[in-house]
Amino acid sequence: MPTLSADLLWMFVSFILTLMVFSYLFGDNALFRFVPALFIGATTGYMFVIVVFQVVLPRLVAPILNGSVITLIPIILSGLLLMKVSPKLSKFGNISMAYLVGTGAAVAIGGAILGTLFGQIKGTLTAFDSLQHATGTTPLFLILEGTFMLVGTIATLVYFNFGAKNTAQKTAKRGWLSSAFAWIGQFFIAITLGAVFAGVLTTAITALVERSDFILQSINTLLR
Amino acid sequence: MKSPLSMLVAVLSGLLVLAGYFFPFPALIAIRTPMLDWAVTLAGIAGLVAIINLMVGVHLKRLREPGSKRFFSIVVIISFLMVAVFGFYLGPADQKFQRVVTAIQTPIETSLMALLAITLTYSSLKMLQRQRNWMGFVFFLSVILFLVINSGILAFSAEIPVLQDLLSGFHQIPAAGARGILLGIALGSLAAGVRILIGSDKPYSG
Repeated sequence: MPTLSADLLWMFVSFILTLMVFSYLFGDNALFRFVPALFIGATTGYMFVIVVFQVVLPRLVAPILNGSVITLIPIILSGLLLMKVSPKLSKFGNISMAYLVGTGAAVAIGGAILGTLFGQIKGTLTAFDSLQHATGTTPLFLILEGTFMLVGTIATLVYFNFGAKNTAQKTAKRGWLSSAFAWIGQFFIAITLGAVFAGVLTTAITALVERSDFILQSINTLLR
Repeated sequence: MKSPLSMLVAVLSGLLVLAGYFFPFPALIAIRTPMLDWAVTLAGIAGLVAIINLMVGVHLKRLREPGSKRFFSIVVIISFLMVAVFGFYLGPADQKFQRVVTAIQTPIETSLMALLAITLTYSSLKMLQRQRNWMGFVFFLSVILFLVINSGILAFSAEIPVLQDLLSGFHQIPAAGARGILLGIALGSLAAGVRILIGSDKPYSG
């Protein structure tokens, strides 16, 4: 039964790798350090294959073989970028990097304005907007909810504003309104980061339960 | 002025792509689409450069240095070569290749995530010991509250309207905070992007 033995082999490999990772619980050791090395090697190997098969061949090699002259531009830019590998020729890659950074900045600006700024501002004001179509919920509750979201959002933003005026004692100090909002913002940030941390912890605990179950099942299968 | 050609390329390419976002004229879209395609290709090539640098510039170089790090570099190089050769021979879509890669990646990723549960719990308790202020206390309370909510213990709250309203109210607090943080990130990206487009920042001239 070749399939069964292959399944058993990969289960054994997974079992050993899991135990090697868990050996970290007894302190940093060579068994644990072996695993990230293997992971980095395998993942970069996989990435290498994916980039060649999904970027280089279909986007550069195939079009130029089909006679697409415009593909010469990305080919030249790619060639220049590959020069970044050599410290001596590295400066020739700056043009390709500049192109990448320029288009990346434009995409980031477009995404920030159209995707995040407009979207989040609209989302913050939705509660007030739904006042017109309120069914089942009291308008007072909607106003309170909307105000709470608005104050929370503004206070969080104000907390990250570190601009301040110089005082007579030459020490920078926030204005009283800014300080008050920043204080409220701290509260919202602490709760938000707590919620994010709880989410990550829940995911990690789920993984821990899954791995523990896998170890028990593997021992059962291997002993049979 | 350092590297004026690079700056010109960055500013022109950025402005053309940005113009395509806000002025949907057919001519601008016709320029923007291939430009973004080239950027995607270049991002892939940049990945290749990073991989070559990691293998040749870091791990191959480390082979010449004495010490235990050499052994782990050998592991990195051998596993890289094995996966790359296997991938080129079979192709990335091949089931056997996918199976080998996932048989290595999945248990390691999941086990590292599982390990994170223990290290995160330990470090959060340590933090509570050291950060004895109201922010630390609010953070800790929030973690406990959302752990309880995430666990599903309060699933019965659907039948008690008051409790459901209260839980819904608790969910609004991180939503407002996250919205503020997202807006802050967007404003930061906007400022960083504009600085590149006007040539104040030149992160490409390294």
